[in-house]
Formats: sequence, C-alpha cells, structure tokens
Amino acid sequence: MTPPSLPRSAAFAWRSLRSMRTALILLLMLALASVVGSLVPQEMNSPERVAHFLIDHPLLGLFYRKAGFFEVFGSWWFTLITTLLFVSLFACLIPRTRAAIRSARQRPVQAREIDAFPLYREVRVDAAPATVLAASRRVLSRRLFRTAAGETQVAAEKGTAREIGSLLFHWAFVLILLGVLVGKGTGYTGHAVIIEGQTFVDARANYFGQVRTGRFFTGNFSGIGIRLNSFRDTYRDTGIPMDFVSKVQLLDPSGAVTATADIRVNQPAHYEGMDIFQYGFGWAPVVEIRQGGRLLASGPVAMAQDTPPKDVPALALPWYGTEKLTTLAPNVGVSMEFWPDSGAFIGVKTTGEPIPMTTLNAPIIRFSTYEGRIFDTSRTLHLDTSLLRKVESSIVGEGQTIDLRTGDELTPDPRTGKIDYGNRLTISMPSVRKFTVLQVSRDRGVPIVLLAAILILVGLLPALYTARRKVWVRVQPAGTGSVVQIGGFALQRKTQFEEEFARLVRAVTEAAGGEVPREKEVAIP
Amino acid sequence: MTPTQLQWARVAKDAFTVALFAYIAGMVAYFALLAFSRPWIGKVATTIASFGAVGSLLAIVARGIADDRIPWGNMYEFSMVLSFLVVVAYLVLVERQIGSKTLGGFALFFAVVTMAMGASFFYVGPGALLPALNSYWRQIHVTAMITASSLLGVGCIISFVFLFKDWSERGQLREAARRVPPPPPPIMGGSLDLDTAPEAAGEAAPHDLVADGDGAVAERAVARGRFPSAATLDRAAYRMISFGFPIWTFGVICGAIWAQQAWGRYWGWDPKETWSFITWTIFAGYLHARATSGWKGKRAAVVALVGFASLFVTYYAVNLWIAGLHSYAK
Repeated sequence: MTPPSLPRSAAFAWRSLRSMRTALILLLMLALASVVGSLVPQEMNSPERVAHFLIDHPLLGLFYRKAGFFEVFGSWWFTLITTLLFVSLFACLIPRTRAAIRSARQRPVQAREIDAFPLYREVRVDAAPATVLAASRRVLSRRLFRTAAGETQVAAEKGTAREIGSLLFHWAFVLILLGVLVGKGTGYTGHAVIIEGQTFVDARANYFGQVRTGRFFTGNFSGIGIRLNSFRDTYRDTGIPMDFVSKVQLLDPSGAVTATADIRVNQPAHYEGMDIFQYGFGWAPVVEIRQGGRLLASGPVAMAQDTPPKDVPALALPWYGTEKLTTLAPNVGVSMEFWPDSGAFIGVKTTGEPIPMTTLNAPIIRFSTYEGRIFDTSRTLHLDTSLLRKVESSIVGEGQTIDLRTGDELTPDPRTGKIDYGNRLTISMPSVRKFTVLQVSRDRGVPIVLLAAILILVGLLPALYTARRKVWVRVQPAGTGSVVQIGGFALQRKTQFEEEFARLVRAVTEAAGGEVPREKEVAIP
Repeated sequence: MTPTQLQWARVAKDAFTVALFAYIAGMVAYFALLAFSRPWIGKVATTIASFGAVGSLLAIVARGIADDRIPWGNMYEFSMVLSFLVVVAYLVLVERQIGSKTLGGFALFFAVVTMAMGASFFYVGPGALLPALNSYWRQIHVTAMITASSLLGVGCIISFVFLFKDWSERGQLREAARRVPPPPPPIMGGSLDLDTAPEAAGEAAPHDLVADGDGAVAERAVARGRFPSAATLDRAAYRMISFGFPIWTFGVICGAIWAQQAWGRYWGWDPKETWSFITWTIFAGYLHARATSGWKGKRAAVVALVGFASLFVTYYAVNLWIAGLHSYAK
C-alpha cells in the first residue's frame, strides 16, 4: 500500500464534500452551533447580559469568551461550518446543474423492453400503427410530457421541474450569501439621537454609540440630513402604546430639504439609498446653567432610561443625564434625574407603586451637585462621582431657577420680572422637548436577499411536489390493426402514478379509436 | 372594551374549556380504540374530536371579536389556533387520507398539551397589540408559522409512531426468518420494485422493500395489526412534513420581511429567529435524509423527532426562558 498522493486525497476530500451525508452533517452542525448562539447571551443582541454573565461566571465566562460563544454568529467556527456547507453545496450543485442542462437538452430515450416496467398494459386497436403512434404522441404532449418519437415507439417523460426547482432552491442560497456579503459587507448601521428641532447629519461622529460597519465599508457615509420636526407617542388608557411617529424633513448632502416623512414602527423611510427606522425615543429637557447670570450651558439634554426590572412597567423609571461644568474651578458636575410626571414621582415616594409616565405633567428634575476634578470631560449619561464631593441635592421644576449649591429657589423680582442672580450658580428648566432614536442603515443587499427568498419558494414547490415519470408507447402491426404496448414508471409518488397511468392508457386507447380495456382483459405477463 | 366584547371574551374562554375537555375525552377514546379495537369506539372518538374542533373554532372567532383583531397576537392565542389546526390536520389529512384512527390519541395529546401550556403559562385577556406587532406581514408570518407548526407537528407524531411500528415489524421479520429458513422473497402486490433487489430478510427494513405506493399491502397491514404499516406511516409522515416545510420557509421569509420593516434588519439572530432557523435546518435535514440511501426510514424519523423537539423549543421555550425581541408574550 502506498500513501495516498496529494491529488488523490484532494479528490477524496472533494468527493466527500459532495456527498449528501457530509452536507447533512454540516447542516445539523450549523443547527447545533445556532443552539449555542441562542442559549448563551450574544454580544450583538444583549451586551448587558453578556456583562452580567461574565460577572456571575468568571471561569465559564473566560472559556466562553475564548471559544467565541458570546459571538457565535461571527465566530471562526461558525464561519467555517458555513463556508464548508457552501463549498459542499457548490461541489454538489455544479455537476448537478451540468447534468440537468444535459438532460434538458436530451430527448427522452427509447426503451428496449417495455413490458419490464413496473406498470405495463397491452391493448389491441383497429387503427394502423402510424396513426396510433401519432395519436399517442398527441395525448402525451397534451399532458405536458416531453416526447420523442421513434419508428415504432414514443418515449415520453415529465417532471423535469423537480430537478430544476431543486437546483433553483439550492442556488438561491448562494444568492443569499452574495446578498449578505454585498449588503452587510459594504453597508453600515448606527443609531441617531435627534432632539426635536435639531438636525442629524449622517457621518460617523454624529452617531450615538457604536456604528456597525461592514468589512468592505470604505467610510463613505451618505451625508444626508434628518431634521426632527416633532416626535409623538400616543397611548391607550391602559398605558399600552398605540403609535410612535417621528415627523422628519430629509436633507440631501448639500443641505437642501428635499422630502418629508413620518417614520413609524413598521413604517421606515427610504431616502438616497438609506433606510431609516423608528427605534426609540426619550425626553430632552432644556437645561440652562448660569454662573452669576451668565450662561455656562444651555440646551436640551437627551436623557436615558434604564431597562425596567420585570415587575416595573415600561416608562415608569425616571430618565437620567449629566451636565459637566469643566470651565469652573473646582469643576462642577450635575447629575440629573428627570421625571416627566411629578405625580408619578410623588406616587412612588409615597406608595412605592411605579406608574408609567406617558405624558408631561409638571415635570421635574432631581439633581445632585458635585464638586472636584472631573477627568472624563466627554458627554456621558452617568457622572463618575467617586472623586467628587457632593454639595447639594434638590429639585427644579419647569420654569423654576434653583441655586445648584444651596438648593434655594430664585424668584423674579415682582416689579421688574427679572431674576437677581448675584454670584450664584443656578439651574433652570425653561421647557421640555422629546428626542427620537432612529436606526439609520445602508444595506444594498436587501433586494438580492429578497429575490433569493422568492427563488427559494419558487424552487421549493416543484422540488417537493412534482414527480418524475417516464412512459413509453410501442406500436406494432397486428393484422389490420395494431398492438399497443404501454409501459412506465414514476420515481416519486408511485401510488398517484398508478392512477395516472390507467388514465393515460385509456386516453391513448381512445385516441387510437380502440375500446377502453377492462381490467380483466389487460394482459399482465 | 365594550360590553359586547366582554361577552365575547367570556364565550371565548368557555369555548376554550369545552374544546380542551373534548380533546381530552377524544384522546381517551382514541387510546381506548387502540386497546379494544372496536370500530364504534373509533366513531365516537372522531365525533368527540370533531366537536372539540368546532369548540376551538368558536373560541378563536369569539376571541377575535373580543380582541377586535385577528386573534393570533400572543402565545395564548397561538396555542389556541395551533391546537385547532393540529386536530383539523389530523382529522382531514391523516384520518381521512390513511383511513386509520390509530394515530388520533397521539395527535389529540399534542393538542391537549398545547392548549394546557397556553392556558397555564401564557394566558392574557383580550386586548390590543403593541405598535411593533401592527403589520400585515406579521399576520401572514404568524399564520404561516402556526399552520406549518401544526403540519410539522403531526408529521413528527406520525414519525414517532413509525419508529415503534418499524421496530416491531423488524422483530416480526427476524422471527419469521428464524422459523422458516430460507427466507421467502418478499413479493408485493404481484410486482417487484425494480430498484430494490430482495435482500436477506431481517437485514432489510420492511418499509424499504414495500414499494412506495403499494396500497394493497398497507391496507392489509391496517386490517391485520392496529397501526398502519411502517411504510404507510413513513410516507404519511413525509407528506405532512413536505407539506409543512415550504409553509415554514414562507413563514420565516415573511418574518424576515417584517423584521426588515420593524427593526431595520431582516435577520438578527434573535433567539426566536435562531430557533426558527434551527427547526428549518433540521427539517431540511429530514427531507435530504429521506432522499439519501442509508438515512431513509429510521434515521430520517429520528431526525424528524429532533425536529419536533426543536419545534417545541421554537414555540414555547424561547418565550418562556430565553429573552429576546419575541418575548412580547410574557
């Protein structure tokens, strides 16, 4: 025995890849890998659960991280299984497609021994052989058989759609792969937080959080603008949300408004190749901070809300945000908690019962003022207070002005209507706005994937439901008439074919002007 | 909710209870038929099951009126519709097509479990849906998924019974081989399948030898034993699964279209999506297995059973234990 040469083992590998067994095992492995992906929290869908998992199970977490269990669908082994499956698919599809093209070109082949087929009938008719032959061919063609006539025989077959459908179905997966590679590879997706009255411009720096970009993305953001005119959320009396709508103006890259749109859940906007989806919303109270009457910070602050625990209704938790005043020495940090409905705040404090806050009702901001050195000067939602000293905590309502350091309320002078700020550091909330969160993405592959999905269905139906069947009719002269031999078989749905065959025999006999043979007259060798 | 709607909600609940008890009674009757093989028991069982199906239908319609929408918007309602479709699929596609009532107990058991799970884990009163669920793609998606689930479920039940029947038939064949050497070549309805040479009895699975489409053999088997022959069961299971599979595929595609609209991506490996893919993969595996020599029959049936487990996870476990975008039902 000699060790297998490289080309031989390559050929062996190729043959193994082509086998249905390999494909089956790969398919089931893909399913198994997905099971892992659904049981272990995924970085992509629930990063906070991954973080919790890492804290709760440090050892298992380390193993999971190394094995890529937190990102199953992007892991090397998932990619490997998918790649092998597609290679196997290719290896199987190419020869099958070639064979299908060959057999589609080929005319049905004449049979030597018709009476050896599983189904067989012999009938005598008065017509001449040539007439019978032509009639049989007509009958078969009318029933959508492909026919080929020989001198004494008609060979017919039907059900090529089965193989073609199956091929279409399988090729469609290659198309899906293509669509995903093109779409996700060259595309990107991110979340835009837009406060009422403000405009978002599609560029990396303007996105909230991470922008997910494809492997072949070259940084060509579209540059379109989205201006939020208003955001409306409406609820039923029971607190169940009814509708979320962002009314926006869409600006082309030059900054000109060219379209308007109402973006709702299930009703995205499409603009200049970009897809814009309703994703979330929140409150953005306008906060003004003054030092001695001079504005230090002014503008709406988009606030965030934690995901409520299991027994707390959505929107019952307060919203939070921060203001960092790093121009002051020492630095001042204000940690804010916004309650759109002060009634709910009082309710929680008195009864402990969380109430969803769906509408604005005497909104308040609870704030805590800290002093010290702020190292992280970026805009964050939480204030790191570990190195800061707490100075004061208080509440500011809409239209109020409160001293950040003492919590005193400053009221306007009744005669002049003006506030005497003195040298105080103050906070006020002149108004409250809303913001919307829109998911902005570009995926050029969507139409390709959709087409592939349609092809999958179009291919699947004939692949499962048509049966391949072959029929031969041989006619030989017998006295003045002819003897008609009809034989055939089906590769699938054999029971149904028995009935079809019986009908076929009857049709051929009738077309040839003969009597319909009764069961007992039928000769079975 | 208007007073009329409230009234309909009560009707829906009552009809649900009636249907559940009818299915339990029907299940008992079908199993009694297995035990005593009296034709009249079969007639009674079918009547009770049909009555239960009418009850289910009434519950669904009443619930729809109470909801003022198509009544498959949450897990409780899915369970209601799924059990109804399972019973209908069984009555119409199995009992009528195969002409055997022996599988009824299993199908009704499935329906009973589905309804009981729905009532005990997922009950919610009638009401409106969240805006995210407000899409006609969702209607199509969910309808397709429930229909496919019922067909695949019934197919898997048949596969389950097939495995037992196959096992007992093999045993009988081995027994026969031991008693009468040499083994007689199996002759089926007068003609041999050209592709299958008669192999040594005991080695070959009987369902492989019985040519697809030998109705006479199957009928005799039903007459002889209690269950239809393994070959008939295998074929029936295949039919149900090959009927359900494209519908499942269609349902997943509709779901993807809806996801693209609602969440801005057609596929995001959300647990429910992932499991619908897993189930799809397993049933695709089943269909391929059935076309592969060496995987036919027993192995394919085992794949179908794995598919059934996966179906169950997709349907319930994801909502009960795995968080994700589809957890609206809790």
